[in-house]
Amino acid sequence: MLSKQLNIIFIFLTLILILSSCSKQNKSKYLLTYWSSNNTYEIKFSKMIVEDWNKLHPDKLIKFQPVPEGQSSEEVILAAVVGETTPDIYSNMWQGDVETYAHAGVVLPLDKFPDFYKFMYARSDSSVLNEVKSQDGHVYQIPWKINPIMMIYNSKLLSGLGIKTPPKTYTEFYKDAAILQNKSRNAKGYVDRWFGYSEVLPTWWQRLFDYYPLYLAASGGKPLIKNDKAVFNNKYSLQVFNFLRTLYKNNYFSRERLSAQQDIFLSGVIASRFTGPWDIAHTKKFAPEGFRFNFSTIPVADSTNKVPYTYCDPKNIVIFNTCKAPKIAWEFLKFFLNEKNEKKFLEITDQLPRRKDLLANSLFEDYFNNNPLMMKFAQQAKRIRGIEQELYLKEVFDIISQEYEASVIYGVKSTKQALADAEKAVNLLYLK
Amino acid sequence: MIHFLIFMAFPVFFSIFLTFNKWDIISPMQFIGFKNFVRLFHDQFFFKSIFNTLLFLLINIPLQIVVALFFAELLNQKLKLMGFFRAAFFLPVIVSGVVVTIVWQQLYGFDSGLLNRILVSLGFDRIGWLVNPKIAMPSIAIMATWKNVGLYIILFLVGLQTVPKQLYEAADLEGANHWQKFSKITLPLINPTIFIVVILSTIGGFSLFIEPYIMTGGGPLNSTLSALLYIYKQGFFYGNMGYAATLGFFFAFIIVIVVILQKKYIEKEI
Repeated sequence: MLSKQLNIIFIFLTLILILSSCSKQNKSKYLLTYWSSNNTYEIKFSKMIVEDWNKLHPDKLIKFQPVPEGQSSEEVILAAVVGETTPDIYSNMWQGDVETYAHAGVVLPLDKFPDFYKFMYARSDSSVLNEVKSQDGHVYQIPWKINPIMMIYNSKLLSGLGIKTPPKTYTEFYKDAAILQNKSRNAKGYVDRWFGYSEVLPTWWQRLFDYYPLYLAASGGKPLIKNDKAVFNNKYSLQVFNFLRTLYKNNYFSRERLSAQQDIFLSGVIASRFTGPWDIAHTKKFAPEGFRFNFSTIPVADSTNKVPYTYCDPKNIVIFNTCKAPKIAWEFLKFFLNEKNEKKFLEITDQLPRRKDLLANSLFEDYFNNNPLMMKFAQQAKRIRGIEQELYLKEVFDIISQEYEASVIYGVKSTKQALADAEKAVNLLYLK
Repeated sequence: MIHFLIFMAFPVFFSIFLTFNKWDIISPMQFIGFKNFVRLFHDQFFFKSIFNTLLFLLINIPLQIVVALFFAELLNQKLKLMGFFRAAFFLPVIVSGVVVTIVWQQLYGFDSGLLNRILVSLGFDRIGWLVNPKIAMPSIAIMATWKNVGLYIILFLVGLQTVPKQLYEAADLEGANHWQKFSKITLPLINPTIFIVVILSTIGGFSLFIEPYIMTGGGPLNSTLSALLYIYKQGFFYGNMGYAATLGFFFAFIIVIVVILQKKYIEKEI
């Protein structure tokens, strides 16, 4: 009896669902929908820009909303793609994800707009455009914003140890780490403070924030994959693996997972970490009184006058193939990315637009003069790399991460062997 | 019937269909025949994850039975504050798995965890609870025992209370000691409860996911990579839906075999 009643309720609900989805949607006054990330400051910025656009273009109204809440924005976008509920424009796409969507044909090739290259070359240089060019030769994304990875350090702690400048090379890093370690042994002789920390989980994307920036710094921005072949098994990767191996072996970096605790940088448990400009606002807000910090470049094997390369954690803009009015979407993006709006973006979000004239354009001058720490990131932005347009990036990083864990963190395999094994596994991946 | 077809039959048949295809959700499916199965038999990580899951079961099931039975025996006495103790033991069962995992992660910390601080203060060496590949899975099994044992205590309590008191009185008259009463009367008579506990903890053990996902990410050196975590990674990290479905089917096949073996042998032997 109960089962029969449940069946009736179920059929009734299903019918409602089918009928409601079949019924004509209310005709919206908006022509396009734009999703931003759900970062508070980006929401504020995006909302403002959309309002400005809508005032100027009452016949081409755009609806703004932040990406719906989910475990991660990547998952939400994937679900939206599968359910064909994508927005027309999305502005927080990780550069490494675009190739998959381009391959599946769910994002539009932006280089088909006649003024695309003219607009892009005014904003970016050719190396950036080459970096985002898909394997089929088209460009499906606009390089939008970056958060270059640098090394934050506790300047008060370092100066207390007699270290006047942050370590720029591996040798300096070992030396400074040893100084801290010698002064950090507790009564039982155990070390309870470390010079740095990097996430020890073997999750693929963690390597974007330790191995990869160090590899780019060591190699001068060389790629990991070229022509469907692994090219990372080289002297630079070996230098990086050996450097990190030494840090873990000597307990200069902790092998314990410390990230679930209170902020270990602010509490003085670690003296430095690799991070992006998002740490400026966070550190200023939560640092204890008297805490002093600064940023330095990613360490390299040998001292050089040039700023080393680093990973820039690029987030880009795409137009989905569900877009009803691609030309208007493109016009909106040109408006969205005009100089004045990018200045507002910088001021509101404290994130860097990926522009070639960040330090040369007088429009941004005041901001950087008032924000000297952001100036460091802007200077670093001249020597950055994003990520290659490859279909198997996550698997590549997963393979590297597995070998990294075995050799760098636990030392059960030589670093040379680990890189050779990673190269072999990645090449097999591309043979499939 | 309709919801059975939509929510149970369809996913199963669709998954079978997926095993013969390559699919990343967003691109069109590509028929690849038996390639996913061939890949499975060459996938060392999957067999490692199966081994890890079975290791977890091997530690977790006996530990849960012994601990649950011990506390059920204690709680079966006439004690003051009995209601409080029963609630206290059951509390971890209703606490979110994520919360428990994060708290235990702090306890298990190598350099700053509470357990190692206690060990050091007692003059022992620190233990790499989650950083030593040989110890990480047993550590997770201990935590899972703490989390779930409350449920099994309640089940055993119910079982113990069904044992007729006259049997113990008769045994007392024969001069049986506590162990003899326990092994000759209690254990045989709570046999069905033990079997239920074994089945429930086997199912729970096979679905090991949250703990390694949060605490170790499957490390160190894949020592806590559970089968479900690996299947999840294949499906949702790398978009290998067809391969993940194949792994899922193979894993389901293993679960069926284990449960049949348990039913055939353990039920008889207990």
